[in-house]
Amino acid sequence: MPENLELSIYEIVGSPLAVASNDGQKVFDRLQTALNEKRSVTLSFHNITTLTSAFLNAAIGQLYGLFSEAQIRDSLNLQDIEPDDLELLKRVVDTAKLYFRDPQRFKQVLRETLGDEGDATQS
Amino acid sequence: MKYSLPSTIRHNQSGFATLMRFYAQTKAALLDDIEVDFKAVTWFDADMCAVLGAMLYGLGKRVNTIRLTHIQQNVEAVLSKNGFLSNYGREKIPDTWGTTIPYQRFEVKDDRYFAAYIESEIMQRSELPGMSPGLKKKFRESIFEIFSNAVLHSRTELGIFSCGQFFPAKHRLDFMVADLGIGIRQNVKDNTGLDLTAEKAIEWATEGHNTTKRGPIPGGLGLKLLGEFIELNRGQIQIVSDAGYWCRNDAKISIYQLEHAFPGTVVSLEINTADTRSYALSSELSAENIF
Repeated sequence: MPENLELSIYEIVGSPLAVASNDGQKVFDRLQTALNEKRSVTLSFHNITTLTSAFLNAAIGQLYGLFSEAQIRDSLNLQDIEPDDLELLKRVVDTAKLYFRDPQRFKQVLRETLGDEGDATQS
Repeated sequence: MKYSLPSTIRHNQSGFATLMRFYAQTKAALLDDIEVDFKAVTWFDADMCAVLGAMLYGLGKRVNTIRLTHIQQNVEAVLSKNGFLSNYGREKIPDTWGTTIPYQRFEVKDDRYFAAYIESEIMQRSELPGMSPGLKKKFRESIFEIFSNAVLHSRTELGIFSCGQFFPAKHRLDFMVADLGIGIRQNVKDNTGLDLTAEKAIEWATEGHNTTKRGPIPGGLGLKLLGEFIELNRGQIQIVSDAGYWCRNDAKISIYQLEHAFPGTVVSLEINTADTRSYALSSELSAENIF
């Protein structure tokens, strides 16, 4: 068995547009299988022209609910990703870490956003 | 039942309020004949077909017969070119100047079909104003963020409606997506327990990291990213959901409560096509330190 697996988003999605959440789910399913087996994966963005946060949340953000940051960092490598797509992925990853790290965070953000009104409506 | 539209319907707060009033007065109709009288209408922003089309589709679902009557020639020309009137007994006519983006209804599972529509009707059109490659990419991403939001959050069973228009001389591209889903206010209430007003719920959803998503897939970036892009582009984004109206123009945000509600969510984009910003990033991110 090869030590490093290679996955092409283009091949999985079948299009240069990696935009739909359900397509992201297909990528996630493969990554999950590999990470469950403690394998490392190179994820290729070759020929991908458009990405959305919805796709990346499903494909990669979701990993943070199942695997440690360390395992994801050690197992997942990116290839041929454009700099602005990397920026989007970074924001998705940071959001996912927050989403899964602190279950109370959501309520805190609500209070910060809405002030007293938020507190009042939650009661 | 006959309803007469006023003289001007533009994609602004007033135009949305006008169409919400129409819907409020017709939504209870069942097995009825609904005549929408365009006699007074001298201007109808083409992208507003997404909103009117969604409303009329909802009325059609209640087995009403829809008739659009007395449409003035200039209005009829635009609404025939973009295919809207093909749904109501008129023929589609050729778009000589190539400035229309067709009216279309999609099912939530039609993401591939929607993608093909965006590519063929906007991105690959030779008439498209000279948008820079960076702007084209950001615009394409924004449209897909809107569609994905509708798919993920609206729970619509009636579909997602879109329409647009180029204005080459004004360097502007208008594009609108409407869904007949549960709306942002209900979505926030169902998922967070917060019982906000409709306009406050939109404001909440456009803040970074706020999300109504639950379960294994995180969310909460889509509308935030859209707002950031529109600010850089010096364009405009409007969101109408339930009775809430939210607008970001330049960096200025306005929110209002409308008199009547829309049965879903509308996102309207006004893109400045003369934007020459490269959208290249100043930060030095590396693929090695993303995770």
